[in-house]
Amino acid sequence: MKNEITLQTRREFLRRTVLGSSLAWTMPMFLSNTFTALQAEAADSAIQTPTGKDATILVVLQMAGGNDGLNTVVPYANDFYHKARPKIGLKADDVLKINGDIGLHGSMKGFKSLYDAGQLSVIQGVGYPNPNRSHFRSTEIWQTASDSNRVEKYGWVGRYFDSACAGADPTVGVVIGNQLPQSFFAAKPKGIVFNNPQNYRFMANGAATEESYKKLNELEMSSPLPDGGPSMSADDNANSGGSIAMLPAGMPMTGGRAIDFISRTALDAQHSSDEVRAIAAKVQNTAVYPGSQLGGSLKMVAKLIGGGLPTRIYYVSQGGYDTHTNQVNSQQRLLGDLGDSVKAFTDDMKAQGNMGRVLVMTFSEFGRRVSENANGGTDHGAAAPMFIIGNKVKAGLLGHYPSLAPADLFQGDVKYNVDFRSVYAGVLENWLKTKSAPILGKQFAPLPVV
Amino acid sequence: MLKPLSSDRWNFSTAAHLLNRAGFGGSPADIQALCDLGPDKAVSHLLDYEYIHDPTTDPDWAKPNPEEVQRFRDGIRNATTPEEKKKLQQEQQQLIQRRMQELRGWWLQRMARGPRPFQEKMVLFWHGHFATSVEKVRNPYYMWRQNELFRRLATGNWQQLLTDAGQDPAMLVWLDQAQSRKDHPNENFAREVMELFALGEGHYTEHDIAEAARALTGWSLEPQEQKYIYRPRIHDDSDKTIFGQTGNFDGEQFIAMIVAQPQSAKFITAKTWNYFSGSVPSPELSNALAVNFRANGNIFKPFLRAMFRSEEFYAPDIVRNQVKSPVQWLINSVRVLECDLPPTLVSWGMLRQLGQDIFAPPNVKGWDGGVTWITTNSLLTRYNDAQALVEGQLPPLTAGDFARKAGGGGGDKAMKAMQRMRLGGVNVEKILTPEERADKASIVAALEHRLFQTSLKSDQEQTLREFLDSKTKMSNADIVTTVRLMMSTPDYQVT
Repeated sequence: MKNEITLQTRREFLRRTVLGSSLAWTMPMFLSNTFTALQAEAADSAIQTPTGKDATILVVLQMAGGNDGLNTVVPYANDFYHKARPKIGLKADDVLKINGDIGLHGSMKGFKSLYDAGQLSVIQGVGYPNPNRSHFRSTEIWQTASDSNRVEKYGWVGRYFDSACAGADPTVGVVIGNQLPQSFFAAKPKGIVFNNPQNYRFMANGAATEESYKKLNELEMSSPLPDGGPSMSADDNANSGGSIAMLPAGMPMTGGRAIDFISRTALDAQHSSDEVRAIAAKVQNTAVYPGSQLGGSLKMVAKLIGGGLPTRIYYVSQGGYDTHTNQVNSQQRLLGDLGDSVKAFTDDMKAQGNMGRVLVMTFSEFGRRVSENANGGTDHGAAAPMFIIGNKVKAGLLGHYPSLAPADLFQGDVKYNVDFRSVYAGVLENWLKTKSAPILGKQFAPLPVV
Repeated sequence: MLKPLSSDRWNFSTAAHLLNRAGFGGSPADIQALCDLGPDKAVSHLLDYEYIHDPTTDPDWAKPNPEEVQRFRDGIRNATTPEEKKKLQQEQQQLIQRRMQELRGWWLQRMARGPRPFQEKMVLFWHGHFATSVEKVRNPYYMWRQNELFRRLATGNWQQLLTDAGQDPAMLVWLDQAQSRKDHPNENFAREVMELFALGEGHYTEHDIAEAARALTGWSLEPQEQKYIYRPRIHDDSDKTIFGQTGNFDGEQFIAMIVAQPQSAKFITAKTWNYFSGSVPSPELSNALAVNFRANGNIFKPFLRAMFRSEEFYAPDIVRNQVKSPVQWLINSVRVLECDLPPTLVSWGMLRQLGQDIFAPPNVKGWDGGVTWITTNSLLTRYNDAQALVEGQLPPLTAGDFARKAGGGGGDKAMKAMQRMRLGGVNVEKILTPEERADKASIVAALEHRLFQTSLKSDQEQTLREFLDSKTKMSNADIVTTVRLMMSTPDYQVT
């Protein structure tokens, strides 16, 4: 081995070596050691390294703001329900009936057709013990899969990457949006974030500028990359001691130098932006999506899947569910958009021949109070349904509908009967084929969602 | 611990570090001037800002306006048709938007151009600490007032700051204290003042929260006069037990009890250190910081002086190891490039895009900060915003984005208006002397000195020289692009 080489790109390098081709280049010894260790780690890990053509894919869909579960999966025949919601309660004629007791909100035609086709499961009464009604705290609980009285630094998706995807391409996680959700926080963070593929690039005023940008952002680490490099944690920092606990939670620090983390992100940005834009330009959607933000996000995800990006987890979100006032119209619009967007997405997946590989999972930080408020809306509540969509889902109703009898409520909220972490456990074990306990901190009985 | 930096370590680099952290950085001349003062006077020049006149005037609406409050309230309440009601609500909404925009520009200008950068850096700290959002407060006057409170008490007494921040209208609305009544106390402020503002989790019990909420009842808001009012009739004046002590405590006494906890000094000094140094203090350093703060009577100014003079603050793992927040990135760029702050609509668009919408932190925890500022998307956005900043023109895609977010509807008109907006742009003749412009190596060296106050790696320098070499006839535009390229590096994102 010579000591000097031009390492084309880390991604290309990883792909080739991980897939078993021989080391094509020589490189500085410290890098070579890192990569060898990395490969060994990948070989030992619970998953087969994704190649983009065969692995299963999870799409996490966040319904931000706290969706009113009772007006989503509607107990239209329940007297307690109508008593608690004289103004905004939905009548039998307003819903798409699932059985004699409950039905989907009338705007969710897309979901109803998936349900009828055996591709949608409704998990009823999902929540967690000692529910928190603050948006940010409850979102944090869902994102980190923590107990409600514990604050965790890392997210459950991040811990999945840490535990099962060592050595994977940075595009193993893709967030359509502006910010990295807390569920992606990890000791060795992975995943790319972008909003609009047209903007997801370095805008250059000439080829020379672009060329220089690439060189300036290539391989300029002061310490080995990537998994041996900096982390989002303060744990390895000798300086941190016990004092991290005094800082507000969720304020990650770099273990190494900040610039190493940024350099790695720069490299990920550079290579993924070329790839994302190439796929976005090449792959055509066959389905027609709503013109909403969610529709656009899922449309993008469909392209990336069709283009063979080696992604295991996509993350999209839809906001606006915090319906304290005049809920009826806004929820109608949101749920209609949700149903139509997901339906378009599944149509696209079928046309691509990828439907068998994809699972969509929705969540919202909490449901809402059983009784409507004085403003034609509902206030923050607790348990609510989740939806799982895919060819292999255990279709139909899972869990049971929470009782609405006033004596069965806790401070005006329905009680959960399925812990959301059992759903995560089911998805991790049965769909992503990995052990869930190391990711969720303890063993939850996996809900058989597929 | 907290030994003063020896004067032989005081030089251009350490002066630059001080100005970058205690302020928003500056031109080489600014740094040199600070360096020439020597360490004591340099720190004093930044911290003792009371001696520097700040000519900023208040926005003309920044005062209580009972007539306006009443006009909207009565008008909306007594509207005879839904249309009339809607029209008034829209008018009020537009007024809020217009004033907030003015307020953002007003504050950003103070940071970018004001004579007291350290004071503004403290205001930014307190804004992130007592993270209050206009999204809920919905009142520009309250947001301005809170901003002014942070400015007035920027380096003052901790107990007074906690009390005044708690009684300020924006906070009374933000954490629902104004809704709290004797018969059903609201625990929001009681919880957050301990968890997020002054002690940290694990240093109080749920019972303390419930009891403190009772002590705080009576802190209320006079909505017409738009000011704090104490209402004895809704105050619970039976005994409470907080931190194991029992008595008929009121809100002020509760705050005093918090500040009396040794943990309080530890908590706030560690967070202050983290904000300025970019790192979590070691247990030993954390103790030393807290001891210093308490010895100084829980007053920030002398504590901060000791901090900025300390050897620890200039340690190798501190210098150039902090991720610039979006506000730091923008203000620092404007200061080092000696260019104008972009129009508020554009500055705001950039900050939102990069994840730091001032006056609208994501939640009461504030911005997570540190490496969470950096994602693949935000990094490319910084690189592209750098282009807009130095070249003085928004690319069409960005213009469209900002136009939509600013509520212009994304229509052609809004977008064209946005595209026509001229940013300052960089004036090459202002930032480089004729001698520095003489050859490529000296251009690169002078710009490195200005942007990083240190050298880039040799292969990066070579890349930049090669870029200039590729231009057969080098123009000022090529130098501007070189500046942009330097800003499009991981190195530029740290300070």
